[in-house]
Amino acid sequence: MRSLFNTMTNSKPLLLLAFASIFMACEKSGDIQTYEENEWLSGGSQTVFIDGNGAYSQSFPILDAAKQQVHDIGDLGFESSFVTAPAPLHSGLGPVFNNVSCISCHIGDGRGKPPLPGESLQSLLIRISIPGFDAHGGPMPVPGFGGQLQQRAVNGAMPEAEVQMVLNYITGYFADGNSYQLTEPEFIIQNSYMPMPANMMFSPRVAPPVFGLGLLEAVSAEDVLQYADENDKNSDGISGKPNYVYNAVTGTMDLGRFGWKAGQPNVKQQSAGAYNEDMGITNPIYSNESCELQPQHDNLNDDKELTDSLLHAVAFYLQTLAVPARRNADNPEVLEGKNLFMYSGCGSCHRPSMTTQMNMAFPEISNQRIFPYTDMLVHDMGAGLADLRPEFRADGFEWRTPPLWGIGLTKVVNGHTNFLHDGRARSLAEAILWHGGEAATSQQKFVNMTEDERKKLIKFLESL
Amino acid sequence: MKNLNQLIAASILVLTLVSCNKDDNNDDHVAAVTDQQVMNEFANTVAYGAYKELSTATQNMHQDIIAFQTNPTAAGLTTCQADWKAVRKTWEQTEAFLFGPAATENIDPRIDTWPVNFVDLETIISSTDVLDETYINALDDALKGFHPAEYLLFGLNGTKTYQDFTPRELEFLTALTLNLKNLTGQLSQGWNPAVSNSFYHDFTTAGNGSTVFPSKQSAFEEMVNAMSGICDEVANGKMGEPFVAQDPSLEESPYSKNSITDFTNNIKGVQNVYLGKFNADGYGLEDMVRTHHLALDTEIKQKIANAISSLNAVTDPFGEAIISQPTQVQNAIDAINALQAIIDDELLPFVQEHIN
Repeated sequence: MRSLFNTMTNSKPLLLLAFASIFMACEKSGDIQTYEENEWLSGGSQTVFIDGNGAYSQSFPILDAAKQQVHDIGDLGFESSFVTAPAPLHSGLGPVFNNVSCISCHIGDGRGKPPLPGESLQSLLIRISIPGFDAHGGPMPVPGFGGQLQQRAVNGAMPEAEVQMVLNYITGYFADGNSYQLTEPEFIIQNSYMPMPANMMFSPRVAPPVFGLGLLEAVSAEDVLQYADENDKNSDGISGKPNYVYNAVTGTMDLGRFGWKAGQPNVKQQSAGAYNEDMGITNPIYSNESCELQPQHDNLNDDKELTDSLLHAVAFYLQTLAVPARRNADNPEVLEGKNLFMYSGCGSCHRPSMTTQMNMAFPEISNQRIFPYTDMLVHDMGAGLADLRPEFRADGFEWRTPPLWGIGLTKVVNGHTNFLHDGRARSLAEAILWHGGEAATSQQKFVNMTEDERKKLIKFLESL
Repeated sequence: MKNLNQLIAASILVLTLVSCNKDDNNDDHVAAVTDQQVMNEFANTVAYGAYKELSTATQNMHQDIIAFQTNPTAAGLTTCQADWKAVRKTWEQTEAFLFGPAATENIDPRIDTWPVNFVDLETIISSTDVLDETYINALDDALKGFHPAEYLLFGLNGTKTYQDFTPRELEFLTALTLNLKNLTGQLSQGWNPAVSNSFYHDFTTAGNGSTVFPSKQSAFEEMVNAMSGICDEVANGKMGEPFVAQDPSLEESPYSKNSITDFTNNIKGVQNVYLGKFNADGYGLEDMVRTHHLALDTEIKQKIANAISSLNAVTDPFGEAIISQPTQVQNAIDAINALQAIIDDELLPFVQEHIN
């Protein structure tokens, strides 16, 4: 079976036939009601068959040579460490920043992790705002600090503040009497370079994995909107709300797709925002330093520090990172786990599959059946996870359903299993247990499961 | 990272092969070496062996720099520069298996980032900041690790003499190498079989309780993909990028003029993994391949030898060679690409076929 997995990529008719016969044979036994054809090919034909440290870092297997070259240029850009201006190479870091390169937060194109108590922030950052909205309906920047807290600065400039994290422990019980413990981080912002307003809101965000983004971007807005049910007309307790966010290039309000609250409309703008805020690199979309009008500003006339072509290449690199294939997708326990996942209503938001729209200009992402396990909508996740900081239409309780594809490889790629927006969940089970709000019913179903059922559900998630 | 088209094509080939031999599940060959032996030898002899040596070499460098700081002499500088090259030799060899703590604990970027941020570096040197371990730890990646140490030890043009060192530079070098010593120590402990939760155990229990590697096959794939990954990095990143751009400022180790040696050690690292060898020679992939497919073994060894000899043919420092010896540079890139191709197209399918 394993060697078959490794070959199921291009639509070789012979292989499909072989696959189909296995599929039918299994169907007879009646244990795969939720089994969907080709579902191990999480990224459609842009699925790769590598389950090691490099699982998130593979380019699309089908990509023409010219596009591959752009991908490779973007790959280098993604890894480049910026340094203080003026410098001959990768100039323009900061003056205030969170990290020095894309890859230093998105290690292995994967997931960042929260600091341990006492550690400094590495791959987690803090978004900030004050009540109200900016001119485009986005978060209102904090005077003197902007929309993101930069806790690092180049030599001679003042970091905006220091961030400390302490953990609180919460004990809970499964219905079968077994106990569990959750950790709730508390972030303390101190030693700010100037007083911070008392009404400042803040939202910790861990770096999310960055593969498969081109495929998610290629799903039509109409397809995403069909999952929306803002006022819960079907009374299933799940609303599903599209975020509409400012497109800084076209000036329009577009469907938000990326970021923990779906605050960015596309990969390029998301990347440009990260260059600007996370690294202090001015670019064609965000051409002012993140510390504009602050005393840290370097007053150098070197903006933009990133060319349009390099920004494009990095965005293209992200758009063409392939999705790792599932492992053990046909394992009976995994299939039982999937049944439990669907039965518990997890799939109402973590939608198993979507199809990307036709795109003659970019056939590599066109018309692909993908299995991202998201609806790209924002949902009320309850008070436990609330950051109480709105972002466009997403309120202080709402978060975007994060895709689950590839999540089972987090350990091998990133060496940890910390999940959720601030990495507080130390395992997949803890991540489920934190679900509240619209997901409270599903969470309760998980709590009520037998230990064996919980194991199968987790095994299913680990197969993604 | 790289394109797996060829790999997929090769896997399809393997499938065809496998389906022809359906009844022959029990291989007639008797393996001289077990999967587990190869995994253990890799983790212990190659990975832990190399990281342990790296850690020791870094400690030596730190000690010698302290001695040089106390008493700067021409001989002292020569020793420190040789120490730096010795540390690099081992580190570059370990780059053939950049998974585990070096990757997941983000140690690689903290010790091996270039280019050096010499604007800030000069600012730090002229400041009165206390250069202790906490301070160095908090520095950006481009201000710590091998390359700032290289910049300080060799100077911008590689012509630094012992009289050129300021007390502040020496203080900074001492602090930098202390940090390197700590981080390489962490790497060594991260693979130490005697440390109960080390990555050594994650690797050697693959398919047998490991939370990282669900199967032995996945551990073997990790090894082989890492070998392929460093070939790609050397041919298309470290060499290809400066060569295509004809830009010496993109060179990895320009101050010490050590880049070609670095690249050669990367390929020697591939050889180490393949042979299961680091100082001591243990069971390696070689032993499995030789048992089942002697021609492939010969071919892999030939490709490794070609890659190393074509790198040796680049005789100018790499930053100059990209302009003065374009043929030799291109030949070396081609030879390393050919090595990567056989790893991707033949060695990977081989381990996928032979290891479950």
